[in-house]
Amino acid sequence: MGMLSRMSTIVKSKMNRMLDNAEDPRETLDYSYEKQLEMLRNVKRGVVEMVAAKRQIQQQASRVQDNITRLEQQARQAVDAGREDLARLALQRKQTSALELQGLDEQIAGLEQEQEKLTLAEQRLQAKVAAFRTKKEIIKAQYTAAQAQVRIGSALSGISEEMGDISLAVERAETKTDQMRARAGAIDELVATGVLEDFTGREDDIGRELAQLSASQSVEDELAALKSGRPAGENRSLPEGRS
Amino acid sequence: MIIRILTEGQFNLPGSHLDQLNDIDNQLVEAVESDDQGRFEQLLKEMLDLVRQKGTVVPVEELIESDLILPEPDITLKEAEELFVGEGLLPG
Repeated sequence: MGMLSRMSTIVKSKMNRMLDNAEDPRETLDYSYEKQLEMLRNVKRGVVEMVAAKRQIQQQASRVQDNITRLEQQARQAVDAGREDLARLALQRKQTSALELQGLDEQIAGLEQEQEKLTLAEQRLQAKVAAFRTKKEIIKAQYTAAQAQVRIGSALSGISEEMGDISLAVERAETKTDQMRARAGAIDELVATGVLEDFTGREDDIGRELAQLSASQSVEDELAALKSGRPAGENRSLPEGRS
Repeated sequence: MIIRILTEGQFNLPGSHLDQLNDIDNQLVEAVESDDQGRFEQLLKEMLDLVRQKGTVVPVEELIESDLILPEPDITLKEAEELFVGEGLLPG
């Protein structure tokens, strides 16, 4: 069984669940229309939830950004105070936070993509539902049992398929939002307890090791820059004025 | 024939392309079975592009049932694997 037939089966089984076996086909039309409006509300709610999730992660990102700024200041103060060990610690933490920030930014971008897709789906469904409504009224007005049966059938399966498509999209979007929320919650907890883990969602060891290597390199670089570029205050004249 | 790409909408594709579509479909199944990410993505894109390029878009206000339904463009290999094993239906 190929991809094509598999996908078709899944969507059609969703469609069938939405169709009702009303005695009078005209009732089926009204029933289906109710379902369509319900689906539209679902999609709209999906978009709202997505926006809320995005806002939550944005707030988190801005907290991490504040943290980075604070750690930078601390590193500077530590260098001024001649405490290289403390400066190094602060810069290491800053690196970790920077990675965290990067992960959050990626999540925000992902949610934005989902949001855009759902918004498009909503517009499409809106157009389909409007078309269905017109068709429904026409069919009902001209209703003669035998002939209407066919037209009702095709209009119904057309719209039901659209709803099947969109309900799959909504499910996927919801799953993604939940996952991101869970991950965002986990990061909050890690930050709160001071445990530092790989929260970037990256899964390969080499990548992680490389990131660590380059992170410790940037710590050294930055430390060196702070030391050389900042012979500030009273300390400044000491090394040179000594000769 | 009417083909739906999930999340994208419907296209009207001349029946003469069906063989090609089937051929890619078979290769896709193999790629999923052998867990070949690169090949999977390449074939999926090939399949969807065929429909997008050789087919014409069905107007949004038209209500017709599709003959075939294709997965969404950003389906992952993992999700595709679940399609085949999920819900206790026929495995690939």
